[in-house]
Amino acid sequence: MSFYFLRVDYMTDLFIVKWIFALSPILTVLVLMILKNWSGSRAGAAGWLVSLITASLVFGAHPKLLALSQVKGALLSLNVLYIIWAALLLYNVVNETGAIKVIGMGIQRFSGDKSIQIIIFGWIFASFLQGVAGYGVPIAVVAPLLVGLGFSPVVAVAVPAIGHSWSVTFGSMGASFQALMAVSGLDSSYLAPWSATLLGITTFLCGIFAVFVYGGWKMVKHSLIAILIVGSAMAGTQYVLAVSGMWTLGGFGASLVGLVSGLAAAKLNIYNQTSPSQTRLEMGLWWALSAYLILIAIVSAGVMIPSVKAFLGQVNLAFTFPEIVSLKGWVTKAGDGKGINLFGHGGALLLYSSMISYFVYRSKGFYKPHALKAIIQKTVKSGVPTSLGIVSMVCFAMIMDHCQMIYILAEGISRVFGSLYPLISPWIGLLGAFMTGSNTNSNVVFGVLQQETAQMAGLSTALILAAQTTGGALGSMIAPAKILVGCSTVGLSGQEGPVLKTTLRYGLIITGIIGMITMLASLIG
Amino acid sequence: MENFLKKHSARLQTTALILMLVIPFLLYAAASYDSIFQVNLLLAVMIGNMLFVMIKG
Repeated sequence: MSFYFLRVDYMTDLFIVKWIFALSPILTVLVLMILKNWSGSRAGAAGWLVSLITASLVFGAHPKLLALSQVKGALLSLNVLYIIWAALLLYNVVNETGAIKVIGMGIQRFSGDKSIQIIIFGWIFASFLQGVAGYGVPIAVVAPLLVGLGFSPVVAVAVPAIGHSWSVTFGSMGASFQALMAVSGLDSSYLAPWSATLLGITTFLCGIFAVFVYGGWKMVKHSLIAILIVGSAMAGTQYVLAVSGMWTLGGFGASLVGLVSGLAAAKLNIYNQTSPSQTRLEMGLWWALSAYLILIAIVSAGVMIPSVKAFLGQVNLAFTFPEIVSLKGWVTKAGDGKGINLFGHGGALLLYSSMISYFVYRSKGFYKPHALKAIIQKTVKSGVPTSLGIVSMVCFAMIMDHCQMIYILAEGISRVFGSLYPLISPWIGLLGAFMTGSNTNSNVVFGVLQQETAQMAGLSTALILAAQTTGGALGSMIAPAKILVGCSTVGLSGQEGPVLKTTLRYGLIITGIIGMITMLASLIG
Repeated sequence: MENFLKKHSARLQTTALILMLVIPFLLYAAASYDSIFQVNLLLAVMIGNMLFVMIKG
């Protein structure tokens, strides 16, 4: 009997040691990014090296296993990078004409009411920019616009940081949702309903707290009708687009409908006590928006018209993988890796939109000489560091997945939290985005972990992964990488503390609410 | 050396990214032919590339 207890203790100790080793790559990234202020690319590379060493020394990885896991990682990365690079290209094609500034000024002409300005700029327009670009662009573009409207720099950075978070998962042409599908191997029809539901609730919370940061409960009460109208329009549109297979347009389409409903709400009598700005626009608002109208047309055709979809989907880059067994006996089943639909991928549709938009703007004479060179340079400049971080993190997540490390992490969490796990699942997503500065990276690093934990605890995988990506989206408002970008555009460089303190407070409150809703949903079943 | 790295930092980052995305496919080819020497060699190049990104990224 005593021998039996001794053996159990020994096994538990061993499991804790293994669990700590399994956690070491993630811990490395966390420590380096939070405590040492390293960039995502440097910390990701360090995490990759730690995972390689740990996997080889502790978890029985061998050269062939490492080789094949890296190919799977590269394929997953390419799927995500295709969208990221094409989204950045489209943003720069538009921004180089000055159209983003024109869109902002066009909105400003609708209302002089401060709460409506916060709602339209900090909530809707920031979400719109997340829908078309992402990667810190919403905060970087909206913060200076808000300072120009008379808001304090801290409020100007905090408001779009909070306001845009709900649209991160389905924004950037759904790059984060694509990553979630890729790592979990699950279909959008299974994942989208719960993800769109939790993110829909988050839409209202982000709107409320964006207004609260500036004017407290008094201003929330004043703008409640507008929040309800806009929130319902955005959350509803996002849900419909996500569940009907058009998740690439989820954030973009929702914020566009939100923009229309926000401008309509701005015309209500209670929001028209102050006169709006009369600034003259440098180009027509419709011309400024034309690239995004082209995008809507192309993505709709590529997704909804079967003949176009079939034509574009003819070339698929795919690899077949054999069964891989680690030296410790962990088996990764044989199968096809994540393929890349070369001409029908979300990134390809964005690329077509960028090219057509460029020629439209050029034919109308909106570009200065050498604009193309500037567009390409800006795209490469912001695309390379982001990509380095994503590839290194995806590749170390694949090493961990092939050596049982993620399974061990999941088993440990499942043992400790058991049925209370839904309460903490959005916090894991939040942590991932906080440490990596990206919802996409958070989904890549923690997606499989959350999926396996949910399966072990007998919980709905769709619900837990929805909580993961919602937490990841909310992490965008507290990610130091994004706060730094926003602060640099309003002259707050080196004084990021007050902004982070503000966004952290509301980020934690919203995540807590989402955790409770997830818990409640899992109890109801 | 330090000056060279600073001057060409953007180009070196781009090269590192290309290597990160290309080496895995060479690894796939090497692993398919069960060529352990090539797999080890390519993994060593990948480690070197990641070390570069970690230090100079």
